[in-house]
Amino acid sequence: MKSFFRMSYPYILWIAIFIVAPMILILLYAVTRSGNSTLTFRFTLENFTRFFSDPDFLRVLGTSLRIALFTTVFCILIGYPAALFIAQQPERRQTFLILLLTLPMWINMLLKTYAWRGILMNFDMDSEIKVFIGMVYDFLPYMIIQIHTAIAKLDRELLTASYDLGANKWQSFLKVTLPLSVPGIISGITLVFLPAVSSFVIPKLLGGGNYVLIGTLIENYFLVAGDWNFGSAISLIMALIIIGAMYLTRKLDRDAEEE
Amino acid sequence: MERKKPFWNFFTSGYLILVLLFIYLPILYVMVFSFNDSKSMVSFSGFSLRWYESMFSNRDMLDSIKNTVIIAVIATAVSTVIGTVAAIGLSKARRVIRNIILEINNLPVLNPDIVTAIGLMLLFLSLKIRRSAVTLTLAHISFCIPYVILSILPKLRQLDDNVAEAAMDLGATPWKALTRVILPQIYPAILSGALIAFSMSFDDFVISYFTAGMDVQNISMYVYSMKRFNPAVNALSAVIVIVVTMILILANLIPHLRDKKNKKEEPET
Amino acid sequence: MKKTLSVLLALALALLPLLTFSASAEEDFGGVTLNVYNWGEYIDEQVLRDFEAKYNCRVNYKNYDSNESMYTNISGGDDPWDILVPSDYMIERLIKEDRLQPLDKSIVDNLDNLTDDVKNLSFDPDNTYSVPYLWQNVGIVFDTTKIDPATVEEKGWEIFLDPSLKGHAYMYDSSRDAFMIALKTLGFSANTDKEEEIQAAYNWLLEMNTAIKPSYVTDEMIDGMAEGFKWISLGYSGDIAYILSENEDMDFCAPKQGTNIAVDAMVIPKNAGNPKLANLFIRFVTDYDAALAISTATGYCSPNAQVMAELSGPGGEYEGNAAYLPRSGNDLDEIFHDNPSLAAKLSDLWLKVMASR
Repeated sequence: MKSFFRMSYPYILWIAIFIVAPMILILLYAVTRSGNSTLTFRFTLENFTRFFSDPDFLRVLGTSLRIALFTTVFCILIGYPAALFIAQQPERRQTFLILLLTLPMWINMLLKTYAWRGILMNFDMDSEIKVFIGMVYDFLPYMIIQIHTAIAKLDRELLTASYDLGANKWQSFLKVTLPLSVPGIISGITLVFLPAVSSFVIPKLLGGGNYVLIGTLIENYFLVAGDWNFGSAISLIMALIIIGAMYLTRKLDRDAEEE
Repeated sequence: MERKKPFWNFFTSGYLILVLLFIYLPILYVMVFSFNDSKSMVSFSGFSLRWYESMFSNRDMLDSIKNTVIIAVIATAVSTVIGTVAAIGLSKARRVIRNIILEINNLPVLNPDIVTAIGLMLLFLSLKIRRSAVTLTLAHISFCIPYVILSILPKLRQLDDNVAEAAMDLGATPWKALTRVILPQIYPAILSGALIAFSMSFDDFVISYFTAGMDVQNISMYVYSMKRFNPAVNALSAVIVIVVTMILILANLIPHLRDKKNKKEEPET
Repeated sequence: MKKTLSVLLALALALLPLLTFSASAEEDFGGVTLNVYNWGEYIDEQVLRDFEAKYNCRVNYKNYDSNESMYTNISGGDDPWDILVPSDYMIERLIKEDRLQPLDKSIVDNLDNLTDDVKNLSFDPDNTYSVPYLWQNVGIVFDTTKIDPATVEEKGWEIFLDPSLKGHAYMYDSSRDAFMIALKTLGFSANTDKEEEIQAAYNWLLEMNTAIKPSYVTDEMIDGMAEGFKWISLGYSGDIAYILSENEDMDFCAPKQGTNIAVDAMVIPKNAGNPKLANLFIRFVTDYDAALAISTATGYCSPNAQVMAELSGPGGEYEGNAAYLPRSGNDLDEIFHDNPSLAAKLSDLWLKVMASR
């Protein structure tokens, strides 16, 4: 049985080529200077200083974070009640409702965004609002499902006990349901906030050319300006921020569980 | 148990209906306007199939659909096989190695997809490999495998090793132990992993955008490249919605029907 | 009824190749693919279908929306594009970098029907590498019901600093053209590489961004202006000609401070997969029929003298259309020259303009 571990060898080779090598390449390009098709190994940190010393780029980073933050907050505000109410339904209806929620997730994100673009094209509203609608729309189902999973797992006995001890519905919710559903919220946040920071497609399609975000920068430096070094540096910065945040939330989650 | 107040019921149902309406608004809207006689997205001037005709005579659009499906099928098949083999191998590997591999495996999942995309693009271009349908498929396989593994591995850890051991003690070859004992037990996890892989590949935009070549486009790339509004996209959306709905209905009906059939065949106790 | 018609049509189309006489052996390319990389909204699809039918081939037609992104795309890999349609200054660069192959003049033999305005251009005086495809100048399209034409005439490019236009403007996402209007307004050359002048232009653009908060778009402005979503935009004369023909409230202005005249021309890269077919494509497109279709569909001025005269003349599709014929004879109008370091710098600064608040 132990010999079965040799089955993992092919995959180890695969990830060496397709996961590790690309990351190393990004790192290499990020810390070297010029020369696109041949890596001329002139090590430098100038790509990083160029990014961090420029208020415009920092503002772009800030905008990306801001949009991601607002999107996440709205997803929680709208999604939590939805998840809660679904969890209170009889079980068969719950399955049906979750199914209804997941159906749109199978439809191509660009098609859905384009649909919104068509709809919103005819309304005169601030493009920032259009972008929010598109972003919240895209991420909401993930948030609802994560929170619902957490709430559905709760032991009904806990709530019954709470009522028996004299708490009313609202107090029970605050003291029992809400705290125990926090892992679901955190899980939802990782599925929403982090991808939202790097998204550039929805803001580009719906923002009407008003939004330069981190993703837009990366796209521009790679595909238009041809500056792979700077583009890689920005990618690396963003990857580090996001992965760092991931680990932070995981640690918070684990700490919360241990309490 | 407290008796639920009717007002509260009304409120919660109403809220859920509103949320569902929001979720389905663009879908229903484009389905309606896919039959619009004019280009407008605001006024419905008459029923017409012109956008469906336009869609079926649009070579680039049809190619993109074909490419999306073929690549998704290939990527799902290959990544499911590699992923299953890898998961089984990893479950038996030493803990340290397993953890390292899993952390690396998680990178495409945690990384923003544009970073994964850039990495793969740099890989192909630095190795002077021309970007093509092949590189695109490789890229898709690459980001699908982690999801397959993440789906199967937990199930594998739950398995009782003794069953497979017993099988081999009784003379079964490792291969038989694998196919007759282990695989059937993790079958649901493999299936769900494959489904996730398929949906990730079908929906992908960013990674495809950077790794596809001059002659391949998937649906997402095609839509992104449309600078001016082409209402044929509404027809495309409508078709996809219908296909997805039918598949989901089937996927949920078949187990139902099978259960019913099984019930019928059971003798009444 | 419509469905049966479609099915019958599809069947007929499928059988058509069998019914028509097959192309002569010399002209039958056996279904091979010709890879054409062109600007978006820059052709009449029927021209491609006619070419495919005539030479029994398939055209893989992809779009780019800036010279820079096209250049980066072809530089990264080894893609065997057969036809590119860069602008003048980009052709200059490609020639300098020895990335193009000379045209086969035995195939491309119809160059005498080109108008004089596009002959003898500095980047390729003898048409060794390139044949003009469409030409245009950059200008302003605006809604006459919202903005007084006299004001636009008087202010020229300066109108883009007018705060009353805030939120009602598009700005074309093209670094070279954006800097051109800034430089021209400030009285400098659009090809300058003097640091102070570029800085001044950069500041002008920042001021513009703050004053009118435009939407930075590319081809989206075509439908946007045709539908009247915004009041004003920077644009290319061909797109604007189309807009004027769709929306009679709109008008065109080539500002007094001078503007850019550009010629987009077809070239064949050195590593083209199918040079012979590529040359045939160039000849095909330069001929009267295709040139007429392309100019009519896109609104851009054709380099084919006959087509140009016909479309702008009496009874022509663009008769009286202010944007169809590029302005000539204005000393302030300039053509862009190639300067890679300048282009890179402008591209960078432009991104910062778009990102600034």
